[in-house]
Amino acid sequence: MLSKRPKASTIIAYLAIPLLLYIFAVFIPLVTSLFYSFFEWKGGPNKTFIGVTNYKTLLNDDVFWLSFGHNIYLVLICLIGQVGLAFIFVMIINTRFVRLKGVHRTFGFFPSTVSAVSIGFIWTMIYDSRRGMLNWALTQMGMEDKTQVWLNNSELVMTLVSIPLIWQYIGYYMIILLSATSAIDKEILESAELDGASSFQKAIHVVLPMIKNTVAVCIVLCVSGNMKAFDNIYVMTSGGPHNASMVMAMYGYQISFAQQNMGYGSAISVGIFVLGIAVVGGMQLIQRWISRDEVG
Amino acid sequence: MKKSSKLFSILLSALMVGSVLAGCGSDAKVSSVVDESSSKASEVSASKESKAESKEEETKTDGLAYKGEISMMHFSTSEESEGNGGSDGFRTSIQKWKDANPDVTLNETVLANDDYKQKIATLASAGDLPDVFLLQGMNTKAWAAQGTILDMTSIIKESPYYADYNQAYFTPFTDGDKLYGLPALTGGTCTVVVYDKVAWKAAGFDKFPETWEDVKKADEYFKANGYEDTLSFGNGGKWQANSNFLSVIGDRFTGPEWFQSIIDKKGAKFTDADFVSSLKFTQDIFASGIFNDNFNVVTNEDAREYFISGEAAAFIGGNWDVSYISATLKESNEEAFNNMGFAVLPQPEGATKSTNSQNIGLGYAVSLNAKLADDTDKLAAATDLAEYVTGPDFSTYVAENYALAGLTKIDDVDLSKFDQITQDFYKYSYVDTTACEIYDSYVNAAVWDVLNTEMQGMLNGETTPEATAEKTQAAYEQNY
Repeated sequence: MLSKRPKASTIIAYLAIPLLLYIFAVFIPLVTSLFYSFFEWKGGPNKTFIGVTNYKTLLNDDVFWLSFGHNIYLVLICLIGQVGLAFIFVMIINTRFVRLKGVHRTFGFFPSTVSAVSIGFIWTMIYDSRRGMLNWALTQMGMEDKTQVWLNNSELVMTLVSIPLIWQYIGYYMIILLSATSAIDKEILESAELDGASSFQKAIHVVLPMIKNTVAVCIVLCVSGNMKAFDNIYVMTSGGPHNASMVMAMYGYQISFAQQNMGYGSAISVGIFVLGIAVVGGMQLIQRWISRDEVG
Repeated sequence: MKKSSKLFSILLSALMVGSVLAGCGSDAKVSSVVDESSSKASEVSASKESKAESKEEETKTDGLAYKGEISMMHFSTSEESEGNGGSDGFRTSIQKWKDANPDVTLNETVLANDDYKQKIATLASAGDLPDVFLLQGMNTKAWAAQGTILDMTSIIKESPYYADYNQAYFTPFTDGDKLYGLPALTGGTCTVVVYDKVAWKAAGFDKFPETWEDVKKADEYFKANGYEDTLSFGNGGKWQANSNFLSVIGDRFTGPEWFQSIIDKKGAKFTDADFVSSLKFTQDIFASGIFNDNFNVVTNEDAREYFISGEAAAFIGGNWDVSYISATLKESNEEAFNNMGFAVLPQPEGATKSTNSQNIGLGYAVSLNAKLADDTDKLAAATDLAEYVTGPDFSTYVAENYALAGLTKIDDVDLSKFDQITQDFYKYSYVDTTACEIYDSYVNAAVWDVLNTEMQGMLNGETTPEATAEKTQAAYEQNY
């Protein structure tokens, strides 16, 4: 039998712990960033209040908007690559033809436990034009003319730095989606099979609608995760060549620490926060709109 | 039961909050960990120390009035000091000073250089610098304006070693007529061509060519004879093309007066024709195919491996690369080690200034927190430390053990006990060449960050030298 419900004060005391941590680690830095963004502050005790000048600069800062574009590209490619591929893998693993399901789960999830910095280094080695696996494989396949200095290709570099991110997180979303699909009643799937539904039809018309909410969570996680992408790109290209793989968080870091312009760096952080909320909010609105259509 | 669980929950939350807050003041923990590692390294270098010990006794005479803690931050990690004379000498000097002053507790925080630069900038922004730290030249004016670093003019002029200081090394740490630090570590070149003498002789050059046209001729030979590259270079970190190349090429086109005028804000511009010519030349020479095709992606650490493995006939980098290449080749390929030669960058066509310049200097200075001015005894102790680690003991140690020079000049460096390569590099660095300035020891980080990023695009042909110059000039006007 369940014990008696604890007193409100006990619940509050427990909840206070994460709340205080959250206030300390997220809320206070956010508010102080907002405060500093109204100053010209090159570090040190002297700050000059300049109103919204930093924000005016931000609106006209080509590199910042280029970085925003790169983040959006990253979000789109990772939505397809991470969540999309994870869904396909889940459907494959769930078929009765696949053995050792536990092994697939474990190895699929494994990359997401490795630090993004290490993954950046691993993939830099793969892309290395002299000693990398990619050019080696192309040469072995007789496609030597396709070999190149991969990370120096401005047009491809964003895709190339996204691939490690996709590789890293497929397993993560796979685990989330697997747990959602395991909750689906087997009888529903069996009756769909009896009705003659193909695997593809089952996935689209039966499984997907039933795990809709979990997919929505995955999408939000994927979008918010990629809006703040930083570490593996920093290791692989530092945003280069030129600004071809610059993303917003790295630009904020570069302005704040490499250029020691803390005031403008704070304005960029606030910009990232606002755009991040807008994009995540936008995605949720789109999802809601799609679901409403389905209900109607 | 209920009461005790309530008590437990309150206790637990108090503990959690406490641990979060304790995280803020974790510096003390860091330094104690570092203390351990530094004491380990001091054991390693103990044998080296014994030589200079007798001299040290002479220098340390008066006891210090201050008894307490001094915080210090630097980047001479034990890893870095292996084979790197400046770092080894710096660590050794600190240890000796600690031994001579047992009443002062020196809390050291030692980080790798990249981490150091970031952390010290953050601490400077927060107005929370350690008592003693290493100041990078380009931060001098900005931090002096903020009032976070101590005006050391009188301290330096009253130093017992003042007469022996190499005055030229103070320039990056000067603002107006005020001095803000004692230049530290060793004077090392930022630009040197390291080449394989035998390979270049086979290509028809008894010594490294003096013009780029000849390098291009040699390139034909090397490409036809199994070499991947004639010259290897790495600009993956974006700063290398500036520090290890443009800084010298710029001097060849503009002469030192132009850069002095940039430092002093006396009217020179990054859009001036001579500087744009140096950018144009840099773009052309990197596009000419004499360098490794991946120069814009790999770092100097990767590029020097191409030279070590024999894929490249020469490499362009800084003194830190020379230390690494020498140490590696000496161990793995003695013949290649003995064939190493050093040369200045060849003269670009159209450049009319110095033909044998190379950029050399002391990039960092031991600097003091402005807050020390309030505590005379502590200031005296910190000053004593700063003077000691840049003084004659340090210079003697690095000269005797590594054939390197520091701030304090010492006469009659006996090079005879060193191998030929070390002697050659000493002559290259301090005797046979003309010194010019290291660009990014001056001005400020915001300007160089823009130049470095734009230049990486320029070297890929995505932007022009003129546009690069204009953006750099805009950053200069806005930030300096």
